[in-house]
Amino acid sequence: MTVLSISDLNVRFATEAGAFHALKDVAFDVPERTIVGIVGESGSGKSTLINAILGLLADNGRVDSGSILFEGQELTALDPVAMRALRGPRISCVFQDPMGALNPVLSVGRQMRNIQYRDESPNAQKDARSAEMLEAVRIPNPGTALARYPHEFSGGMKQRIAIAMALMMRPGLLIADEPTTALDATLEVVTLELLKDLQEQIGCSVLFISHHLGVIAELCDEVAVMYAGEVVERGATSEVFRDPRHDYTARLLECDPANQRRRTRRLPTMNDEPGSFVPQPVPPAPDRAVGEKPLLEVRDAQVTFRVGTLFRRESIVGVGGVSFDLYPGETIGLVGESGSGKTTLARAAARLQAISGGSISFEGKSVHELSAGAMHLLRRDVSMMFQDPVGSLSPRMTVGDLVAEPFRIHRVGDVDVKAETMRLLSLVGLGPDFADRFPHQLSGGQARRVGVARAIALNPKLIIADEPTAGLDVSIQGEVLNLLNDLRERLGLAMIFITHNLHVVRHVADRIAVMYRGRFVEIGETDEIFAAPEHDYTKTLLSANLAGPGRQP
Amino acid sequence: MSEAASDPRTPNDGLRSQVRKVLREPLGVFGLALVALVVLGAVFAGVLSQYDPAGLNPRDRFLPPSTDHLLGTDQLGRDLFSRVLHGGRIALYVALVSTGISLAIGIVLGLIAGYGPRWLDNLMILLFDAIKSFPTVMLALALVTLTGPSLTAVMVVVILVNVPGYARIIRTQTIALKSSEFVTAAQSMGASTTRILRLHILPNVIGPLVILASMDIPVVIAIEAGMSFLGLGVRPPTPSWGSILNDGFANIRETPWIAVAGGLPIIITTLGFTFLGETLRDVFDPRLKGR
Amino acid sequence: MLAYVVKRLGLSVVIVSVAMALLFCMIYLVPGDPASVALGPRASEAMKEALRVRMGLDQPVWVQFWNFYSSAWRGDFGVEVLSERPVIDVVLEQLPYTLALIAGGITWSVGLGIPLGCWAAVKRGSLADRLVGVLSVAVIAIPSFVVAIYALLIFSVSLRWLPAIGAGEPGDLGDQLVHLILPSLAVGLGWVGYIARMVRASMLEVLETSHIRTARAFGLPEPMITYRYALTIAILPTVTLLGVGVGQMLSSAVFAEIVFARPGIGRLVYDAILTRNFPVVSGAVLVTTIFFVLVNLIADLVIGALDPRVRSSF
Repeated sequence: MTVLSISDLNVRFATEAGAFHALKDVAFDVPERTIVGIVGESGSGKSTLINAILGLLADNGRVDSGSILFEGQELTALDPVAMRALRGPRISCVFQDPMGALNPVLSVGRQMRNIQYRDESPNAQKDARSAEMLEAVRIPNPGTALARYPHEFSGGMKQRIAIAMALMMRPGLLIADEPTTALDATLEVVTLELLKDLQEQIGCSVLFISHHLGVIAELCDEVAVMYAGEVVERGATSEVFRDPRHDYTARLLECDPANQRRRTRRLPTMNDEPGSFVPQPVPPAPDRAVGEKPLLEVRDAQVTFRVGTLFRRESIVGVGGVSFDLYPGETIGLVGESGSGKTTLARAAARLQAISGGSISFEGKSVHELSAGAMHLLRRDVSMMFQDPVGSLSPRMTVGDLVAEPFRIHRVGDVDVKAETMRLLSLVGLGPDFADRFPHQLSGGQARRVGVARAIALNPKLIIADEPTAGLDVSIQGEVLNLLNDLRERLGLAMIFITHNLHVVRHVADRIAVMYRGRFVEIGETDEIFAAPEHDYTKTLLSANLAGPGRQP
Repeated sequence: MSEAASDPRTPNDGLRSQVRKVLREPLGVFGLALVALVVLGAVFAGVLSQYDPAGLNPRDRFLPPSTDHLLGTDQLGRDLFSRVLHGGRIALYVALVSTGISLAIGIVLGLIAGYGPRWLDNLMILLFDAIKSFPTVMLALALVTLTGPSLTAVMVVVILVNVPGYARIIRTQTIALKSSEFVTAAQSMGASTTRILRLHILPNVIGPLVILASMDIPVVIAIEAGMSFLGLGVRPPTPSWGSILNDGFANIRETPWIAVAGGLPIIITTLGFTFLGETLRDVFDPRLKGR
Repeated sequence: MLAYVVKRLGLSVVIVSVAMALLFCMIYLVPGDPASVALGPRASEAMKEALRVRMGLDQPVWVQFWNFYSSAWRGDFGVEVLSERPVIDVVLEQLPYTLALIAGGITWSVGLGIPLGCWAAVKRGSLADRLVGVLSVAVIAIPSFVVAIYALLIFSVSLRWLPAIGAGEPGDLGDQLVHLILPSLAVGLGWVGYIARMVRASMLEVLETSHIRTARAFGLPEPMITYRYALTIAILPTVTLLGVGVGQMLSSAVFAEIVFARPGIGRLVYDAILTRNFPVVSGAVLVTTIFFVLVNLIADLVIGALDPRVRSSF
């Protein structure tokens, strides 16, 4: 039996620029007791689809034609009151943002009680049921948890509470909108397992929206691929992923770095014809000449933060003593989850953050003991790239000014700044017309290219790249990584590549250091780490970075 | 990224298109018209009324509004229309000069507090909070008691109470921007503090502040008029809307038109500036809405 | 929570201290000193000198500061120049009238502002919403003393609906309340606008948050979402805003008391200026300042009690 059946659904938004056709002839089914995945990149219409099903479209949007049939009822024809009667008991929802999903000023128990408002039973009975649900999502001490407020729980727990609330009324369909995207990889696995368990227990169907191909492959029975408001392909997950019929799906699958089983210097992009891609094997790391001096020497570096008020001070360890060497032209990948100290270590290496112990030397000079003048000189040799591609560009400067800024700061007088700016722009694949644009007019990938141009402007010896591909769609990710790899080889740069995504770093880094709670738990050659992880945490991380869809049998 | 692209705060949207947006808002046009009325009246006061705003004319005391005296005359026989026009000069002078000075001081102090060392920031915040904890009029009254009534004293009070607010806004935004990635990026390239403040921070914090300050102009006008109403602002016979209102208040039962003549320009000006300022803010920086 | 209270209390004490120091600096630095103010322009230099000695103004600046500061903390703001009564008694005598006026202003502003703001947010984009928006801005713009005089002109002089002067018969609560209507409207009208606007804006902001979307997805009834989920969060900033508002209402009260010939601190200060009674002026400034700081302290504590996030972050 089919729980949800959508056919020929068209949704349009009235905007200032005219009508925007957000969903075009969307059609797919959600059978009973199955998990159906919707995969697509940003702007593909996933969110509009959910809102259309829930009857929560923004005021300027409306369903033009088509039908949404849920348990035999035509949702597009329902009035708001009847629709609300369905939401909760029959269709429920979990959203992406675990921090904001719960009401901050009502206790968890109160919110769970409110969800059962249709029920006439006494409060004690409702609370008992709430506690039961919390237990089902593995919240410790569910009885006392009811009296607590959302901010007292961690992000992962909040998301589990949200799941408990969504399944409270035992709905026939749960819509999960990127429910684990904001969570760390290890938490993601736990949450997904839980979701699957509960789905089987309750016997509901799940419509699971994600941009993460690995997650979809792992969890979903069926999948629908969305692109620009259309469902371009649908079918059983294993079939779609093994033998994609639509060109877009094929390219998307191939673009995912996780799908490249062998390390490759160049990753496929959306421009590559599906199937035509040939991996470029990574040359073996050259043996270090005896006596070759490292570019960067980090010895027992420590960073502690002093936080708190006048009355309550405490120290938090950001980096708890790490050591490594980085040789000219070499790339090291720093891998770890949020809060593991990767970014702090990178900032300390560039002296944007004071160290509280140990030493960091660049070409033999102790970075944190240099005079202001010497430090200024050193900044020409060490450049950085930051996480947020758009946010790391000053919003009121043009791209031209932004790229020229390193020359102006260092008063490099002997080059024609304007010509040099244009050269750099073309080097990163941006046309000269970009020089007059402002950061907010750029896409994430374009802004990232500007960041790369700035980073290589003064021919540095070392680039510290902090999550350079975070927040980019899979299709853009490959392009940026190829650009970085290409420049790195051509210019002989050393690089510290920080990421939480093991599959990305694999194709870039010569060596990998795994960070956990401010320390390196493992450091070694990339291939060795992937082949035989030694430390437990690395193993968890490897299994948590869900395998790419291509790895499915 | 599509979010960034739809950011309504588009620096290069072109001033012209934003002015057009203001002119499309009925409230903005209404405000602009009122402000223009007041400004033109003040500038061409001598042309629009042939009466001397301070000229005594005992025979024409307490004349109700007529074609000769559009708003009537006061207890000394002075033409109220002429006094209202000339009073506009005082009001605008006080508003523009003291707002300008407050802005300049506020920006400098705010940048210092926001970008400087923690202890200095804490000290300045404490001072700002202490100044803000005086009720404005009480502070003005205390100062004027010591110095005697004068326009300068009124302006000093206005600056004193405005600066902490402006400095705080600049400070808060500076602190927020200080840790933003684009400032860290500039630091990582070795940009100097003055370069960072001048190129990366100031251009991003000044726009909202200027708009907020323009919305404070009515408040300043109210303070000047209020102090003059109490007889503690301009000295007679200089015309001020507040002193006209005071003359009217003294004779409110017998000759209510004097009070009306004093109050109307205040209402027109404050409404005009507020409506215009609100529209400007909504067009230029929608994020400030509701402040 | 206790640590939070202690911390806020300590901060308030520090702020009052700094404010006192600032007031002293102002008195000391500004041309003109309390002795010459008291005696007026025609007094001889010898008379001024004698009064300076009597008021302790001949002593070194830090002695003067210490005297001012320590006696202020003891509640000793000096004596009235004419009657030689302690200033603190004179000021505290007038304080209740001003407090009643401000309480009236708060009643107007909260009573009208919150419902109007909430209504505008729920009816977002409608004619009613725009009307509330324009009116809020308008009442914020118009200075309170103009409101006071026009209200007097319209409701007392022309229509004769409400009394024009005084605070009403002592002991007759009804009469006192009737006398309070117009002055407190003058004090509170602008804040009706501020609060309506703020409630509308924060209501819209809260209604956009994902927990409201989640609540909708769970099918909770719309009134429950509006009033129990959104409004409870949206009115929190009102408390802080009112803390600031009381300071401005203290300023407005000066005008309202003069226009409506009511007793109160504003009236007291105004009369003191005319009689060159500087100790009363500075005493009143300090008392109102302390009161204002206290109100902000209470506002912060109330926020702490209402918002679990604030409560546990200390």
